[in-house]
Amino acid sequence: MNFSRQTSLALHQDHRANLQLLARSEQAFVRASRTAPGADPEFLKLIAALAQHLQQDVDRHFGFEERELFSRLREAGDGGIAMLLGDEHEAIRAVAEELLPLSRSAVAGTLDAAGWETLKACVMELVERQVSHIQKEEMALLPMLDDLLDDETDRRLAFDYAASY
Amino acid sequence: MATANTFLGSASGRLLEASIPFRFFASAVFFHVLAWLALAWAAPAIVDFVGGLGWTLAGVHLLTLGVLVMTALGASLQLLPVATRQPVMSRRWPYELLWSLYVLGVLGVVVGMALWLPAALWLGALSVTLALLLYLWLLGSNLRGAKGMPLVVVHGWAATLSLLMLLASALSLAGLYSGIILIERSTAIGLHVTFAAYGFMGLLVMGFSYILVPMFALAENPAPAWSNSSLGLALLAIAVALLVLMGLVPPILFRVAIVAAAASFLIHVTLMELALRSGMRRHLGSSFVLVRLGWACLTASFALALALEMETGVRHAAVLFGILLIGGLVTLLLGVLSRIVPFLAAMHAGAGMRRPPTPSNMTAQRPQDIHLYCHSAALTLLLAGVFLDNVWLLRGGTLAGSAGAVAYAVSFLHTWRRMTQMLAKKVLSVPSKSA
Repeated sequence: MNFSRQTSLALHQDHRANLQLLARSEQAFVRASRTAPGADPEFLKLIAALAQHLQQDVDRHFGFEERELFSRLREAGDGGIAMLLGDEHEAIRAVAEELLPLSRSAVAGTLDAAGWETLKACVMELVERQVSHIQKEEMALLPMLDDLLDDETDRRLAFDYAASY
Repeated sequence: MATANTFLGSASGRLLEASIPFRFFASAVFFHVLAWLALAWAAPAIVDFVGGLGWTLAGVHLLTLGVLVMTALGASLQLLPVATRQPVMSRRWPYELLWSLYVLGVLGVVVGMALWLPAALWLGALSVTLALLLYLWLLGSNLRGAKGMPLVVVHGWAATLSLLMLLASALSLAGLYSGIILIERSTAIGLHVTFAAYGFMGLLVMGFSYILVPMFALAENPAPAWSNSSLGLALLAIAVALLVLMGLVPPILFRVAIVAAAASFLIHVTLMELALRSGMRRHLGSSFVLVRLGWACLTASFALALALEMETGVRHAAVLFGILLIGGLVTLLLGVLSRIVPFLAAMHAGAGMRRPPTPSNMTAQRPQDIHLYCHSAALTLLLAGVFLDNVWLLRGGTLAGSAGAVAYAVSFLHTWRRMTQMLAKKVLSVPSKSA
């Protein structure tokens, strides 16, 4: 992907990092021991990293897109794609609401067997939703920013996004 | 890029009522089981099949009319308005009339063929023709107002014209048994095979693949220069084939048509493979194993077509060609259908929900895997059985196909049940006005 806007590039880099973490998480949960999944410290570290990333994604990445980009899409007559992506944000937020407390319990060592099953199902659902969502943004949203943003707005938005870390 | 944007952005707002596309898909799944059972009954006669009424012809038409065209009707009625940014028709009756006429027609045609009942065959053919003319009207209205995806639209128009040729040749062939002669038999058969398999189904499948494959693989759209080249070659092939079959140019040019069609298809498959390999979603499960198997069979069908045309003496070449052509199309469509059905079911079931189900939630993976193994075995055994002239291999193949068709039906019912349960829950959870 070649993006000419700094804002697109920043979001694209976030997507790449997110996809790598999701792929690692999916593989780890598929391979995890059924009897004692919490016994592997590396696995627990990965769960903590996923939870932290998810929290950041929901607050920072989604918030930025909804605040700064979706409104511009609607003004440009592409309300359909803005609504679809917004709905997907909401669905991912709903998964996060279930997944984050479970991941905290897992890291704290207080998650029971049923909780681990639910956590695994949530992670698999998150992976499916996020991969599909990221690709829609890569295919539809980011290329449109080339036309939607002028140089000055692009610089300002890229700076704001970088400063929100 | 604009294609993906257009398609994704407008998809959720242009859904037909769930029962409309699903009744076509459910019928295709039902006819799929019947087709394999009919072929199992006809197994000893498959090797020597040269046309004519009977169970083999009925089994073939359960696959072509019952599975292929039925799936194409359901999928195109739903996907085309999304692709061309056209509103879906709010009235249900045209869809219901189309489905009723078509199902009755297919039943009439296959019963007439299986039981040697020319009157049933003729009435069935008339009913299918009326249904498909109604479909052509719906398709044409949609294509006339198309606002996007010109590649898909041109494929659609070419498929529309092919369908007219298909109907004329089909009526002529069905009428022969009732003493109604419209076109000379061998010309009608040539037109029927060319315009049904390559013209109508082939062009429709290729056109929709340009939307669906990149969408499911989450990939970039193919380069327009190459997709336009593929389309151009396909149109050239169809035009040359028509001129040859009408006796307007020398018969040897039919080889040019086959080579052009093969080149068109190979470019198309290469573009689709590139999309699948560059896509962000690499593991598409058993559905795309079926799609690739379908592509392989269809590619091989061109080689057999050329061998037949050049009279190279391949044993039972015509029957092998038929298995590769129809088997390839059925395999490809079943693969795509196993993706479309959970995808549509998730969209319908999840409308208005904060956390809608994902397509995986709606999929029964085990029956789909069983279908894949049985279907692959069925195709292999059928090809081997015909080549080796072995009835037991043919029986084994058709029984494996029947088992696979049942597994496919189980998978479809699972998705259907989950969708209807979720829709029913939503209806129950809406408080009544008086409450």
